[in-house]
Amino acid sequence: MRRSLTRYIIRRGLQSLVLLWLATLIGFTVYQLAPGGPLQFLDEDPKRTSADLERLSDLYGLDRPVVVQYIAWLAGEDWFPLWPNGQAWQSGRCRNDIGDCGRGVVRLDFGRSFYFAGESVINLIAERIPATFLLGFSSLLISVVVGIPAGIYAALHRGRWPDHLIRVTTVLVNTVPEWWIGLLALIILGGYLGLVPLGGMETIGDGSLGDRLHHLLLPALVGAIGGWISTSRIIRFEILEVLNQDFVRTARAKGLSNGTVILRHVLRNALLPFVTGLSGIFLLFLSGSILFELVFSWPGMGRLAVTAISSRDYPVMMGLFVITSFLGIVGVLMVDILYSFVDPRVKYEL
Amino acid sequence: MKAPISLHHWLSLSLLLVGALLAAQCSPAATPAPPAPSATPVVETTAAPTATMPPNLAPTAETSQEVVAESEAAQAQELEKGISVVSDEEVSTPRTQHGGDYRDVSTSDAVSFHPYLTTDTGSSSYQAMVYTGALLRLDENTLEYIPNMAESYTISEDGLTFTFHLRQDMKWSDGQPITAHDFKWTYDQVTNPANGFPYLSQLAFITSYEALDDYTLQIKIGEVYAPALSQMSGLIDPLPQHIWENLDWSDPEKNPEINNPSVVSGPYKLVEWKRDQHAIFEANPSFWYHGAPNIERVTIEIVPDQDVAYEKMKTGETDTGPITPENLEEARQLDNVTVYEWWPASARWSYIGLNMREGFPTHDINVRHGLSYAIDKELLTEQVMLGQAKRLCSVYPETSWVYNPDVPCYEYDRDKALEEFAKAGYTFQDGKLLDENGEQLHLTLVYGPNTDQTRGLMAVTIQDFLREVGIEVEIQALEWSSYLETIQAEEPKWDMHLGAWVSPIEPHIMYTIWSEENIPQLNTVAYVNKDVEALFKEAGATYDTEFRKEKYQEIQRIIAEDSPYIFLFYNKSWSGQNNRVQGIQPTVLGIGWNFEDWYLKAEPGQ
Repeated sequence: MRRSLTRYIIRRGLQSLVLLWLATLIGFTVYQLAPGGPLQFLDEDPKRTSADLERLSDLYGLDRPVVVQYIAWLAGEDWFPLWPNGQAWQSGRCRNDIGDCGRGVVRLDFGRSFYFAGESVINLIAERIPATFLLGFSSLLISVVVGIPAGIYAALHRGRWPDHLIRVTTVLVNTVPEWWIGLLALIILGGYLGLVPLGGMETIGDGSLGDRLHHLLLPALVGAIGGWISTSRIIRFEILEVLNQDFVRTARAKGLSNGTVILRHVLRNALLPFVTGLSGIFLLFLSGSILFELVFSWPGMGRLAVTAISSRDYPVMMGLFVITSFLGIVGVLMVDILYSFVDPRVKYEL
Repeated sequence: MKAPISLHHWLSLSLLLVGALLAAQCSPAATPAPPAPSATPVVETTAAPTATMPPNLAPTAETSQEVVAESEAAQAQELEKGISVVSDEEVSTPRTQHGGDYRDVSTSDAVSFHPYLTTDTGSSSYQAMVYTGALLRLDENTLEYIPNMAESYTISEDGLTFTFHLRQDMKWSDGQPITAHDFKWTYDQVTNPANGFPYLSQLAFITSYEALDDYTLQIKIGEVYAPALSQMSGLIDPLPQHIWENLDWSDPEKNPEINNPSVVSGPYKLVEWKRDQHAIFEANPSFWYHGAPNIERVTIEIVPDQDVAYEKMKTGETDTGPITPENLEEARQLDNVTVYEWWPASARWSYIGLNMREGFPTHDINVRHGLSYAIDKELLTEQVMLGQAKRLCSVYPETSWVYNPDVPCYEYDRDKALEEFAKAGYTFQDGKLLDENGEQLHLTLVYGPNTDQTRGLMAVTIQDFLREVGIEVEIQALEWSSYLETIQAEEPKWDMHLGAWVSPIEPHIMYTIWSEENIPQLNTVAYVNKDVEALFKEAGATYDTEFRKEKYQEIQRIIAEDSPYIFLFYNKSWSGQNNRVQGIQPTVLGIGWNFEDWYLKAEPGQ
């Protein structure tokens, strides 16, 4: 049992690495195919000349073939040979000073940002991770707190009006984009009624716990919408499945009260897989909730992503891409592994 | 997450971003005043109706004309015996209205405090708070370069040696004197190609840059170059050599000064900067120009979009906020806000670019003239911009000191348009303009970004006008990056594109967009006219302002006749400020130029 689990984890880990690498390959290609480039901010600027553009392209290595740029990003450029025909695979920055050569993602060097004037990508992302985690975690908490009771209630009243009501509202709310609900809530609750702050993480100069919770409330609530909807659907489904099983009928036949059956037998079996996978779901939540931060000017990775994408800041875009892909893949992996712990019916073979 | 819908949000955001960049890049060489309050609206959407504005606040066409006239007089200096300018300006009397916290709000945070690695508006306004360094500055009334950090300067008889004498009482915030060596050291770093200064070519005219002693700076140039003074003053602001010397130039990990400047020369010191959240500045008591600024503390809060920022100004949560054309009228009615309006010397102007390459119908000058006559530009200005813009007939707006009012303007005239098309061999038949083969004339019109409502409205209006003369126009709305790539393609496929420039105060900078060597990047329409290039070169190779003016006026006439663009209009600027903010004086430079003199009335206005 133990041996096969270790083997399973190793195998899945390796597969995930390959998956991650493929994702970077696709990501890099797609970003490069998009029109424009990191120097496009100079496109409409009468103060620069073509010579300035050429100099900067060489300095940052943007004049190299895409394949070379990808290899440099992945594995670094310090080991590139200097070709006898004068063709330079290294960027100008690297040729000027060997210390400035990129070392590649494989050596955990995510490079330096174009847009943020040479700031290291890792710093830029690390600065923003706490905010994203806080919002993601709060949203998840709310989704669970709202979603589980809603799911249970719907399952136990299956086919009756509370079930329909919950289903119709969830579907309705689900069809409206979260950012739109966010914006609307912000304008009404924040703008007109003044009940919540107009975005941000804290009042400048305050930053006490109460103030921060006040700022967190609305974004977390709105961010949880997608979460509680899917949570309640999953829970409802799981409970209904358990309810139809033989041991429930047996329990009822033994004369146990309805409450005991539901609490001791049904809920336990229905919730266990869900709760087990929660940590993995949390990571998925993070990698998915990034764009939502924008509306609330939440200083997380979402804003960074938008800035990086609109300014074609390749290193930052790729850095975020790798981190979110990593979170997503690790999330799936954790869910799979934890499920296999909890439910002996899940086989380790693939 | 609903990615496809959020895409719109991205687009509008990226548009704001790029728009802001655009405005930044094309703005005049840095002036010492922090352009802190959001001044120019970068993206016009549908505009608000006109209203009368208080005459004392808004320089009207007349006043801006006066300024221009004065500026001409001031610049018309003879250079027979060299130039020597000495300032008797007294800069040590302290200001008297100290105190308060000015709450600014912005949709674009700074990128970095590194003055030589950034080109965006957010960064330059942050940098202007902490670094001041212009040797000379633009006079807000005459637009003439007057002594600033240099208290006097001389230009040699041959016009090639510039000697600046720095004020001797200027100090860095750590008490060290600001000297010519700081300038020299900074210049050396900036001009090192490995250091990646984007505008290096702008400094190429300088052949030597030396500190003769602590307070004398001597700059030599290869040949007489008209924008020399503005470029020398605007491009090199000194960094503190004694702090920066041993630090890395561009890597913020090895040089903490880049994102957290501790020793500064400007009116403010940085207290705290949290990216995408806020920046806090406090007055620098050792600021050399009349000491500490009046406003003691400046907080810049970063918000996601203009609507939220505007809301904050409305509720009094901030002292300023961006006003879009749609809410301009409402803003003028707000009890707690004063809207300052001005026609900027560095104006943003819009045009339709006509592809002049062979094989395109617009290659024919008669077709270009026909198109020009066929479009009612007056109506575009009035109806689309709702009075927030003025007509423009050639390369420079009315607020420029080289403006030439006497150029062909192609007022709307459908019959004349058809005459011009006839000259080009087209016949108008059954509501269609047919070429020699009997095919209807089809043209494509490209614009971007596709989220810009004003440009969309303009495109449709142009399409309607051209339908009147039998031309079928196909409109292509593109996302910003695609738009740039399309209009700057080596082999473009479009006939017309909508565009805009922000023209710097120095007229010579716009040479780049008309020069053959900048096809297809800045000169997207592939305009080639040797006479125009020769005139630009002549105008750039003298300090004789009258002579320069003649040349630029000639350029305006020729370009208007050649019609590589259909010139449309230039925009007004405005800024909303809470009533408690006092001391604001709008000029053609805007309102930020005397930010240090602004002060706050005791009671916060509601």
